[in-house]
Amino acid sequence: MISFQDVSFRYPRSKWLFKQLNLEIKQNLITFIAGPNGGGKTTLGKLMAGILKPEVGTVLVNGLNTKDVELAEIGAKVGYLFQEPERQIFAATVRDEIGFVLELHEIKQAEITAKVDAVLKQFQLEHLANLSPLKLSRGEKQRLAIAAIMVNQPRFFILDEPTTGLDQERKEILSSVIERLQDEGIGMVIISHDQYFMQRHAQQIITVVGGEIVDVANCST
Amino acid sequence: MWQTAALDPRTKLILVLTFSSLAVFIKNVYILFILLVVTLVAVRAIGGDLWSIFRKLQRFITIFVAIIVIQSIFTAHGHVILQIAQIRLLTDIGLLRGVQTILRFFIVIAAAVIMTTANPRDIIQGLIQWKIPYELAFMVTIAIRFLPLLQEEAKDTLTALQLRGVNLKKIPIFKRLKTYSYLLMPLLVSVLMKSRDLSVAMEMRAFRAFPQRTSLRELHFRRADYYVMLLSILFFLMLLFTAIKIS
Ligand SMILES: Nc1ncnc2c1ncn2[C@@H]1O[C@H](COP(=O)(O)OP(=O)(O)OP(=O)(O)O)[C@@H](O)[C@H]1O
Ligand SMILES: [Mg+2]
Repeated sequence: MISFQDVSFRYPRSKWLFKQLNLEIKQNLITFIAGPNGGGKTTLGKLMAGILKPEVGTVLVNGLNTKDVELAEIGAKVGYLFQEPERQIFAATVRDEIGFVLELHEIKQAEITAKVDAVLKQFQLEHLANLSPLKLSRGEKQRLAIAAIMVNQPRFFILDEPTTGLDQERKEILSSVIERLQDEGIGMVIISHDQYFMQRHAQQIITVVGGEIVDVANCST
Repeated sequence: MWQTAALDPRTKLILVLTFSSLAVFIKNVYILFILLVVTLVAVRAIGGDLWSIFRKLQRFITIFVAIIVIQSIFTAHGHVILQIAQIRLLTDIGLLRGVQTILRFFIVIAAAVIMTTANPRDIIQGLIQWKIPYELAFMVTIAIRFLPLLQEEAKDTLTALQLRGVNLKKIPIFKRLKTYSYLLMPLLVSVLMKSRDLSVAMEMRAFRAFPQRTSLRELHFRRADYYVMLLSILFFLMLLFTAIKIS
């Protein structure tokens, strides 16, 4: 699904973060990326989604080179959840937040309504549909962000630290969301330090320290 | 060279004002060019980053070309350099006006870079010593500090929107405005949240608790400051005088 071929990357005016990285992420697995702060987890996730482009080497998403395609094209296949949910909330109501991308794409109103309703129900956001997204709690905002990505029906998800700031109960809800996505055959990369969460969902764990992949472990759940 | 890095922020402010106001007043392309060279030399001497000026200019290239073409098409007189069918795409007057605008842009951006070499804390102090109210001076520096941050965020937001499958190039024109309004939302929210946090933090540190503020650090003009200021005033008058005489 996502493959790194001799990828080297550095931020402008910094030293190399990744050098000659090779990596293969499979479509049908839940892969965790773990490691200490500043190890390069977020950067790795952004490279996977084409938000950042490698300076040397290629990143292929579904066979497409991230250097050659528009971000919107990758976005249609890969959903990306930012570490801060506020960054990706655009509309004035929860309902509009889920539907506005479809509206911009000139899909028929009836079809939009049906799709939005289905997603609202799936993510238990129906009672919040007409509220402003800014009034939601952190956990709800995050669920909304995932829901809004889901209307595009991506085949793959990258979640950056989805459990930070969630209490036990919200984590439980997030876990069930992840399991539901998994049942639908959607692959995932989850960036997280959360041990409990990792043990529960991980099928593969990649550990990144100082820009190096120090460990790739397969686990059975 | 004297110790330019230690120039008083007020001196730098005067330099910026001199260069940018001249850029606005002067029309003659040759004088503008001289002004540009002097500005660049000044930026270099003060230790500003010349490359950052070029990087900033790169973004405006399409606008520059557009200005030249539009000036050519809508200015009736002048010699035609390039013509397609009945449309005069490039005339000498259009070219001249275009170059004029580019030079002005260039000078103003270069002058602004001078200010980035000053420490924001010193800028406030300089403004206060010019008897500008502290609140106002503080607002100015906050604006200077937060603009680059906002730019970063705008970029991230655009990325997030594109990842949602929105391709700005493929959205029909009449819907594009609506798309931009969606971009504005997270930015506004972030600005409002930041300013709220900032005001709380300022209250906590007793901002405006006393009507009179004193500061530990006082700025003093040095000899180099007086030289630079005198030079810039002379330069200002000289260029203005030449420009008036030529026209
Ligand atoms: N925009 C940037 N410009 C320059 N350097 C950056 C930028 N973003 C991150 N870095 C640097 O790259 C390194 C990796 O950062 P990254 O955010 O990928 O780490 P992380 O593993 O996600 O950390 P965390 O656990 O804190 O989220 C860090 O040393 C960081 O300072
Ligand atoms: Mg991170």
